[in-house]
Amino acid sequence: MSPRLLLRLHRIGLIAMAYFGIFYVLVNSAAFPIFAGKTHAAQEAFGHSIIVLGAQFTWLLPAPVRPDTAAGYLQWRGYGFFAIVFAAWGLMSACGAVRRDEDRGLVEVWLAAGSSRLRLLVTRTAFFAALSAEIVTLAGAAGWLGCVIAGSPADVAGLVGENAALWGLTLACFGIGLLISQLAADFRAAASAGSALLLLMFLLDGIGRSSIHPAPFTDISVFHLFNQANAIAPGGSFDLSATLLLFALAAAATALASIAFVRRDLGTGLIRTRRRGAPETHDVSSNPLLRIPVVRGIWIRRVGALAWTGGMAVAAAAVVLLVNVTATFFASTPSLAPYLRGLPGGVHTVLLALIWLSFAQALVAIFAIGSVSRWASEDSSGVLEMQLAEPRSRWAVLRERAGELTVTLAVMAFASMAVILALAPAESIPVDVGKLLNATALLIPFALTFAALGALLAGWRPRVAVVVLSTIAAISYFVFELGPLFKWPAWAENLSVFQLYGTPLITPVFVGGLIAMLAIVVVGFGSAGLVLARRDVAA
Amino acid sequence: MTSAIATHALTKDYGSGHGLFELNLEIAEGEVFGFLGPNGAGKTTTIRLLMGLIHASAGTATVFGLDCDRDSVAVKREVGYLPGDLPQFGGMRGSEVVAYLGGMRGGVDGARVKDLAERFELDLGRRFREYSRGNKQKLGLVLAFMHRPRLLILDEPTGGLDPLNQQTFHRLVGEVSASGATVFLSSHVLSEVEETCSRVGIIRDGRLVSDMTMDKVHELRFHEVIIEFNGAVPEAAVRGAAGVADVKVDGSKLTCTVHGGFDALLAAISGHSVVDLVSREPSLESIFLSFYST
Repeated sequence: MSPRLLLRLHRIGLIAMAYFGIFYVLVNSAAFPIFAGKTHAAQEAFGHSIIVLGAQFTWLLPAPVRPDTAAGYLQWRGYGFFAIVFAAWGLMSACGAVRRDEDRGLVEVWLAAGSSRLRLLVTRTAFFAALSAEIVTLAGAAGWLGCVIAGSPADVAGLVGENAALWGLTLACFGIGLLISQLAADFRAAASAGSALLLLMFLLDGIGRSSIHPAPFTDISVFHLFNQANAIAPGGSFDLSATLLLFALAAAATALASIAFVRRDLGTGLIRTRRRGAPETHDVSSNPLLRIPVVRGIWIRRVGALAWTGGMAVAAAAVVLLVNVTATFFASTPSLAPYLRGLPGGVHTVLLALIWLSFAQALVAIFAIGSVSRWASEDSSGVLEMQLAEPRSRWAVLRERAGELTVTLAVMAFASMAVILALAPAESIPVDVGKLLNATALLIPFALTFAALGALLAGWRPRVAVVVLSTIAAISYFVFELGPLFKWPAWAENLSVFQLYGTPLITPVFVGGLIAMLAIVVVGFGSAGLVLARRDVAA
Repeated sequence: MTSAIATHALTKDYGSGHGLFELNLEIAEGEVFGFLGPNGAGKTTTIRLLMGLIHASAGTATVFGLDCDRDSVAVKREVGYLPGDLPQFGGMRGSEVVAYLGGMRGGVDGARVKDLAERFELDLGRRFREYSRGNKQKLGLVLAFMHRPRLLILDEPTGGLDPLNQQTFHRLVGEVSASGATVFLSSHVLSEVEETCSRVGIIRDGRLVSDMTMDKVHELRFHEVIIEFNGAVPEAAVRGAAGVADVKVDGSKLTCTVHGGFDALLAAISGHSVVDLVSREPSLESIFLSFYST
């Protein structure tokens, strides 16, 4: 397998993690003086506030160490959050390398070309190890640069140690993913089982940290091992044995996966479930939903749509439960008062707006980008060709795609709104139903804005659509995040779709933003239709 | 009568000499037309132009008088299409794929689908990803034939089918043709063309090099003859005989090809002692290979 092919197979994870790793670290370190203030006293007060806040979230993140410094803040906010993201990347990359490529028939072709199974697995592992090392190094370099910009350089040895632990965590999760993929029969099963295992280990680590009594099996959690190091923060430490254990775990899991891969039949997992055979039939499906435009697409993708709806509803519930804890903290921390001053509505409403809507925006934007990815792949896989072989125009295909996405987004958004309305009274959170309705409804044009841009890209150049759209979304997000911090002019901030959405839970609907989003939707889908109509399909 | 398919100087230029160039073709309703050519000759490009999936660089194509590009929706109402490669429908069951794509057409004739699935012994209850290559091809054929189209455009329809199902396919083509439907199929399989088609076009390097009825094709047939003489070989007389060509002499053995009747050859060798005479009819494949290789 050539490095170029391997790079192509890992390109989405590579691009996403490069963006995330570099920008997230850079923002959270370089912008420290903007968060915390420039004077020593202001930074000390900020650090105290973060320590109080961090204590409330030890079930989620390790307790902050010296958050009054850029390096300490980066350790807590950046690397604390990195753990789950890099772990998920490692796991999904492994599941994709084994199961998805096997489902596509690529593994069969490579093996038929003369590569041994062992060599194949070792090659994929070695490539991912090199790739993740580069991303981790870039993130570390960005952290160092950010701290320099913030005026308090981080200890280089500490950065190296922390990033070594992060690399070990990523590789351990890759190894776990490789092993689980040998047991499961397909990508979905492997990814689900792996995600459940990661979540369990994450919770074990969190419970162990926040509980008075140590939780059983905490030590076996890869997150627990990773969090033994907090070497970036001044006064922090690097646990060499825990980091080495992560690498040992990665090696052991990869070795076991190699043995399993050599022993199992291709196309199956070591754990075989008895397939429930449907009775033989020669009849066409009587399901009427498959015959109704828009509904048929939702029905075919119902599992994914339900998972997204459920996930978003769970996130909404978690945010509602979090609002009270955070409000209590804000109320008891005068230094954080400026963040809320001048905003209408109580602390609860403001926090609900800030936390929930940023979550919801991210989720629906990712869902829209995922839909664009499917549209692009329908072109290369031949599904679009089959759809167009039926008596329907290309415009009709585009209309149905937009309709399906709009309905699914509406279901996701309003289901989460229902959860908020159901749980808020019990948490004594006052909710303005009208504003929540506006905020929820606005999520639809917000997500459709990305979809429209994506539809245009997918109609024009399907192969690069997702990469370009993800870049646009990332830039849009960073403009939204950095604009207020660096006091950019309004026109520059309004280039961000996130900015166009506004803050409809606490301020009136940003009509100009809504009009701009609707204009992008109409022009985007309209242009996409023109481009698709002129383009060759299946050529 | 309107032609089922008519192309005029139809061109799709991909550059570097690739594509389809100035295709002029007219296929009458009820004809079964075989479109033959080696890989990359332009068969699939032609089919995609007819389906309105790609746009012509020049020229026109019509189906039942409708422009394939401008009126592609109306064209596709009349057409059953089998692509060269069926896409991945993942976890959908065969019955759901049929309902899904049939729904886009406005309805599915359940009895027709059942009949086709039974004839091809295709279990529609299984998931697409569990289908073998042959079963995927059968599903594609069910999708193409299920709405009794006036025109079937089939890109290599028997790829992956076992001989029994190939026979089923040939019978099906015969039936739809008898009921008045037109069939346009591309193929590499000459026996399939010989069995199913009434006319054949041969395409090479994007250009139609031959278009003839199967009767005409059969007229092209010739015999390879090997004669062993006991004594002198009448080479000059054989060379001068009408319909005889490719004469070669090796010792007492003479080989030649004979187009049409044997009378002239027999007259040329009369009076000579013949030890052995073998006459062989080459396969249709040999005839077409001569087109491909020249």
